[in-house]
Amino acid sequence: MSRPSPKLLHLTVSVPADIKGRRRSGSIVKVEEVGGRTEELLDRSAYLNINANWVNAKGAWLIHVVLVFMGKIIIDTIPGMTQQISWTLVNLIYLNLSYLMFHWVTGIPFDNELHGGAYDDLTLWEQIDDGAQYTPSKKWLFTAPILLFLASTHYTNYNPWLFAINLTALIVLAIIPKLPQLHRQRVRFLTGDASGVSTPVTPSFPRMDQNPLHATNPADAHFG
Amino acid sequence: MDSSTSVALEPVLSFLAFSLSKLESGFYRIPGSAVVARYVKSSHQNDPGRTILELILVIFAIRTLLQSRTRTDRSGKHFIKFSEKEIDELVDEWVPEPLAQPLTEWEQRDLSSVPVISGPNGPKPKLLATGKIVTNLASFNFAGLAGNEKVKERALETLQKYGLGSCGPPGFYGTIDVHLDLEHDIAEFLGTEASILYSQGFSTISSVIPAFCKRGDIIVADRSVNFAIQKGILISRSTVRWFDHNDLKSLEDTLISVEKERKKRKGPLTRRFIITEGIFERDGEMVDLPKLVELKLKYKYRLILDESISFGTMGRTGRGLTELYNVPAEQIDMLVGSVANGLCSAGGFCAGSSIVVDHQRINGTSFVFSASMPALLATSGSEAIIFLRNNPSVLLNLQDNIRAIRAVLEKTEGITLLGHRASPIIHFCLRTQQQSLAVTQLTYDYEAEERILQDIVDDSIANGVLLTRAKHLRGQEMVESRPTIRIAATAALSRKEVEKAAGVVKASVTRILSKRR
Repeated sequence: MSRPSPKLLHLTVSVPADIKGRRRSGSIVKVEEVGGRTEELLDRSAYLNINANWVNAKGAWLIHVVLVFMGKIIIDTIPGMTQQISWTLVNLIYLNLSYLMFHWVTGIPFDNELHGGAYDDLTLWEQIDDGAQYTPSKKWLFTAPILLFLASTHYTNYNPWLFAINLTALIVLAIIPKLPQLHRQRVRFLTGDASGVSTPVTPSFPRMDQNPLHATNPADAHFG
Repeated sequence: MDSSTSVALEPVLSFLAFSLSKLESGFYRIPGSAVVARYVKSSHQNDPGRTILELILVIFAIRTLLQSRTRTDRSGKHFIKFSEKEIDELVDEWVPEPLAQPLTEWEQRDLSSVPVISGPNGPKPKLLATGKIVTNLASFNFAGLAGNEKVKERALETLQKYGLGSCGPPGFYGTIDVHLDLEHDIAEFLGTEASILYSQGFSTISSVIPAFCKRGDIIVADRSVNFAIQKGILISRSTVRWFDHNDLKSLEDTLISVEKERKKRKGPLTRRFIITEGIFERDGEMVDLPKLVELKLKYKYRLILDESISFGTMGRTGRGLTELYNVPAEQIDMLVGSVANGLCSAGGFCAGSSIVVDHQRINGTSFVFSASMPALLATSGSEAIIFLRNNPSVLLNLQDNIRAIRAVLEKTEGITLLGHRASPIIHFCLRTQQQSLAVTQLTYDYEAEERILQDIVDDSIANGVLLTRAKHLRGQEMVESRPTIRIAATAALSRKEVEKAAGVVKASVTRILSKRR
């Protein structure tokens, strides 16, 4: 808290008790929300997000089938390849690459200045269709790995280990990250405390005075 | 026992078998069913466990496919779906609100207490309401340049030559050679490579900050910075850390903690800025510039210094804190100053290296999107710089006057003087009974103090000294400060006049406070 200073002008230095997503607990696993602040929402609505709009094109849907097909053919040409290993490889490579593309990398790779970094915390999955769930492209992207998995179990007889590997990879890499409950949530391990009390951590202005007449969100107060 | 239950269940079982065979024959009649049956049979591969798992997957996928689309993130979470009848009711009930709320009694009084001056402003203006001449301790006229004859002559010449100005954006058709001359003059005066001119003092710093600080950058700013800086920081969307007012130890702690945080998060190294004012507009404190520069170099930050009050008043010839502390101006990355306050003209500037300045010609929002200032104001600024260079004694007079005012006011009962003893703006606020100077929000009566101060202001205007309260936007600033009266010392008045004026203020204060008691 504020220490008695010889300067008269400081009335309150109370730390806001609840700063969203930055509680001072030292838990091992923590799920926190990212990218929900008003300024970020406003900045995202300024322009079209070309980085996320291409998944709505028809070619982008077809390319999954084409790539998997070609990948299978190429992998089959490797000498000594059995069907089990080939399908497992296709499955795993597809799941890993799609996870990397849709759920690992955040932000926009080009034209970043247009949005002022508002998308920097969002993965491609969260950017698609401005965060709406169960849109056509999201439904396709959700079903594609499942169809691939079902096709792979149909055409070959996995031994139990390979089946388990494929199924777990499917669930962990393709199904769980796409669930709408995990939209804009991040799982963090072993984070430390927020910064010290005397200089509170705020991405935007803290509302020091609890004046009930004014909005608590500084952007709301700014925009009326 | 078995035979009896099997006898009882026989009709049920036969019914089930019959319906199953019926379903099967019906199924095979559908075209393409044989393909599906063959597919499922070969998928099954005599392993019921896997089939069940796959079936669960299929059901989950079908369920997902059948869900309807939800709203996007930005449509707001507060969407309430009204029925037609409810909408009609709300529309019937609606009464339009006035565009501006009617003023409260206090606001009305505040508005009507603003004095109107007839004729030009100066150290001794004439009030329109009473026709009396008052001593002006409210307007910023530090070096006494308001109404300077040489400046007026030059301005008239410029007006006859250029007219009023093109009113265009500086980048488009608004820049005249006199603007470039003023920019060159300022840069030469301060000793920086270049400077850029903005047409309004307030929007200077709130354009400079977003031009350089972007989302993801780190700003370390003083808690009591003025409103323009706060808005600039808000627009820039950078991460802000605040340090205690004018406390360099707190600044150093903050810098260390920012570095620790970044290392812990293993984040990338982004641009980092320290933003502070030379002389704080809110209370007249002065920052320790050499120590600040030392900290900035040690922790590798860039310094944005807002010299709106200290440019044109501090130092031997008015170059500001850089001259006062003998710090080379290159050490300050962006030196922002006000031509309106220090040189009694209009607008503001940002001085720095030529890269800093050239960047702002495209990225300084107020430079790109606002009109440039009229030519005569630019030449007034240039003339003012020449005046300051040739008459350094003016600033000695200013310092004398500041000392005189402070000497009188310090002896006044019931008020506390704030700020540095050499600061040209002198704030004073009411002295309170409480021992601890940090007041909590609940017991604090802002309105009452404002009324008392306004009474003091009105009383001293009636007695011939023009004063003003320091006006702030309540509820919009980050830190609420106590209401103060702000005196702007000026070198245009003689020491005797200033002492007399301060005496009048002291008498007003004593009068009003004794009435209240």
